[in-house]
Amino acid sequence: MSATGLRLGAHARVLLWNLCFVLLAATAGCTGDSPPPTKPDEPAAEATADEAEAVEFKLGDMLEPFDPPKLEELNATAEWVDRPVVDSLAQLLELQASEPEPPTEAEALALKNDTPGANEAIRRAMGRVRIAKNGDFYDDEAGADWDAEIIRYANGDINSTNYVLYNSATEAEVHALCGFGLFSFDAEMKPFAAAESVVSWQTSGNGLIDKVVMRDDLVWSDGEPITAHDVAWSFKLIMSSVVPIPAVRQGMKEIRWIEAYDDQTLVYFYKDSLATNIWSVNFPVIPKHIYEESVAEDPTLTRSEYHVRYEDKPVLGGPYEIADRKRGQEVILKRRESYYLHQGEQVRDRPFFKTVRLKIIPDQSVAMLALRKGDLDELQIFDPRLWVSQTISNEFYRRNTKVQAPQWLTWSFQWNTKGNPFFGDVRVRRAMGLAFDHEELHNNLRFGLDLPGIGTYHPDSPWCPDPTPQPQVQDLAAARKLLRQANWQDTDGDGVLDKDGKPFEFTVICRNEQWRIDICNLLKENLERLGVLVNVQPMEATVLIDKSVNHQFQAAFGGWSTGTDPDTSENIFATDEGRNFGQYTNAEVDRLFAEGKREFDFEKRRKIYQRIHQVLWDECCYTWLFHQNAFYAFNKELRGYNFSPRGPFSFGPGFSSMYRPAAL
Amino acid sequence: MTSYLIRRLLLATLTLLLITFVIYGLIRNMPGNALDAMMAGADPSNEIDPRDYERMAAVYGLDKPWYEAYAHWLGNVLQGDFGQSFKHRQPVLTVIGDRVGPTLMLSGTSLLLTYLLSVPLGLWSAANSGTTRERLAGAALYALYSFPAFVAALFLQLVFAVWLEGTLLELPLIGLVSDNYQELSPLGKAADRLRHLLLPVVCFTYGSLAYFSRFVKSNLEEVLRQDYIRTARAKGVGPVTVVWRHAFRNTLIPFVTLIGLTLPGLLSGSVVLETVFNWPGMGLLLLEGINVRDYPVIMGVTLVFSVLTLAGQLLADLLYAVVDPRVSYD
Repeated sequence: MSATGLRLGAHARVLLWNLCFVLLAATAGCTGDSPPPTKPDEPAAEATADEAEAVEFKLGDMLEPFDPPKLEELNATAEWVDRPVVDSLAQLLELQASEPEPPTEAEALALKNDTPGANEAIRRAMGRVRIAKNGDFYDDEAGADWDAEIIRYANGDINSTNYVLYNSATEAEVHALCGFGLFSFDAEMKPFAAAESVVSWQTSGNGLIDKVVMRDDLVWSDGEPITAHDVAWSFKLIMSSVVPIPAVRQGMKEIRWIEAYDDQTLVYFYKDSLATNIWSVNFPVIPKHIYEESVAEDPTLTRSEYHVRYEDKPVLGGPYEIADRKRGQEVILKRRESYYLHQGEQVRDRPFFKTVRLKIIPDQSVAMLALRKGDLDELQIFDPRLWVSQTISNEFYRRNTKVQAPQWLTWSFQWNTKGNPFFGDVRVRRAMGLAFDHEELHNNLRFGLDLPGIGTYHPDSPWCPDPTPQPQVQDLAAARKLLRQANWQDTDGDGVLDKDGKPFEFTVICRNEQWRIDICNLLKENLERLGVLVNVQPMEATVLIDKSVNHQFQAAFGGWSTGTDPDTSENIFATDEGRNFGQYTNAEVDRLFAEGKREFDFEKRRKIYQRIHQVLWDECCYTWLFHQNAFYAFNKELRGYNFSPRGPFSFGPGFSSMYRPAAL
Repeated sequence: MTSYLIRRLLLATLTLLLITFVIYGLIRNMPGNALDAMMAGADPSNEIDPRDYERMAAVYGLDKPWYEAYAHWLGNVLQGDFGQSFKHRQPVLTVIGDRVGPTLMLSGTSLLLTYLLSVPLGLWSAANSGTTRERLAGAALYALYSFPAFVAALFLQLVFAVWLEGTLLELPLIGLVSDNYQELSPLGKAADRLRHLLLPVVCFTYGSLAYFSRFVKSNLEEVLRQDYIRTARAKGVGPVTVVWRHAFRNTLIPFVTLIGLTLPGLLSGSVVLETVFNWPGMGLLLLEGINVRDYPVIMGVTLVFSVLTLAGQLLADLLYAVVDPRVSYD
């Protein structure tokens, strides 16, 4: 069983206009014995700041009334289908045992990662988990240093220790280690119930109901048992309109109700039979016995003296608990004995690290120095210039090594198809892609570190068509021809294309980071050769989001990381969806997304998303530029790091397979 | 004097009202709000539902027109309630209070060092004006003044934290204290804090040292050209007495003005250096507040800075009377 109770990655795609997030999120299920819900949301919407506190708290007031059937009735009619309950670390070990033996760690650590072969050797050797179980669990002889500490990198502080209020990437990291969860997913994005929390998981024949039986040896950090009632109550809490939940509510909209039939039995009722329902159950669970009485008085969960006390010393259900927190500096997590010991008996694997220290370092250059000095054990490198300049010296390799691996993270120019005379025309959008010097981008601005962009889904993903679309290459003549067909010509001889008396001049917005500005400047230079004027407008992330959400832009540079399900692209490309910043609309795409989420057959589903990919590529609603790999540096003493399309941490086992060997 | 003080305090109150009104209007009319920042800087695999957006806007008070929200904020402040930080989810005064200590530790030490070093350096420069060694010192000080603190900080970190690692000269890279701080003896703790303080203080100080010492020098040179100095010299007064007793005292008025203006600097910190040294100070707090549109924190910090600025100016005005007998407020 894996050491950490990894939470299911939230399934939606992650916005990267701001930062490259490695993210995980919550899971869990639930039901309740709480009062019946009242009418669906509305009153708080009109509440003002102070009035919001005055609005009466009603648990689950956003839920429609529902009368769950008796469990016996359900069992008789549901036609349960067993679903996987997985020990993700054991699964990884099994997989590794079936693979060819990699180079030894000593051989790998002697290498400099300057060729694809060296990278592969380091990735395979250092990913190998060379520890052994004695009986059911890893014991002191397993080969891990059980007193070890790992110092992880965080680029920002946590805002709250309350799981339901989590929002930032750092909070997601902390709650992945400290939060309680029932589900996870593997490196292929396949969901499973986590064996450290779940006895069984079944889905009804019609796909409308999930039943989970939880283990009876789960306890919160204050010693109280974690039960199905905690899960059900947390669900209703999140669905209470006056509780300011920042991140997770929208992802739970497909859940009709969650019922706790007893302390261990949870049943999830969905509104519709969807292949994506499993991703809806990823929500944070907090202890009912702590908050049940207090939330009505302070629905913000942060202001009352009582809540402040629990903010400082939260009651948690994961493998780690928060031992100390120096705001703006670090968060220190300690392994929780009561996570793996129950009534004096070991019932789960002991997490390999005794202490996890998340060191907050806002500046990447300083973080790089910290890594070289040994003040950090791992670092995700966002800027490729740091990768090619700051991780090549003997001094870097004295203490560290580095690995890159495919990551489903795609960067692109996004065209606003409405509100301007340019990008509503597919010929113009296609011309933009043809005019852009992709070779210059890859070789000089990205140092040859990425895969060329071939559409919304990563070429390694099953959702990408086979054969894949061919990467674009610069063809100015073809671009010029397309623009001419779209009636963009230099009629007044001023060197700038025009149509109906309007010059072809637009603004591309991006976040205020030099590497992003450089890419936009390359677009500007390329298009000037065609007589198209481009203004590059860098801005801070908040303004970028504001302009994007309100469609107040003509073109933008940004990126999306992958969700765990291809359906997460729906709100990016389907008509009028929230993250369809470019207002792209295509009836076929809308229909296919609707079909995709209802299709349970993997092959049929795959064809649907492959078709979506192809349509989006042909329609050029974005100009896809590159798929960015994950770039990580690790201390040489670390072992067992493996990669998923979402990086080395956000999947099962992820962090749980990492350890420091005792022999060092 | 009393009526002068009352007039000044009334004027300061009006100024404060104007400053906070303008700042509140500006920040509330910047593109994007706290919820947009939440979406931008977040995991949020899940976009915020428009109805949730409205609900949260109401909870954070973002649904009101800015002038109405300002009146609400002002009313609360007058009752001692500075509001709750959107980001930190703590009362604003607590958030600011947490940052005051580290900021004062850095800026207070730096300011003290600046004054202790810049005055004798300025005096020496004035006394040796035109000599080769003074020109060299001047060039070095101008070079320091123009050297970006960010670059200096990274360079010093590289040298003292990485290259000199394992030697007696090794200094910590970032932070207020070491990871093992709690295990140290009281003396060890003091030494640990001092070691962490060294590089940030050096970076914080060298620029202002150059500026202040040049300031003292130029003012002193101006005074040294006055007739009464020539008279003193003609009467046979020694060069040290001329500079220290007759000239320096007369440079104090502009110097006192400068002291008054540096008072708010004690708490404003330095965004760049706090970022590089991961020093949890006020500068970083304000920057973070602006980035995430944490209006209560921005306003709280603005208020503190404004009060200090006005207090500094008042203090400087009062000190004029102390250093210059010709000035009187009666």
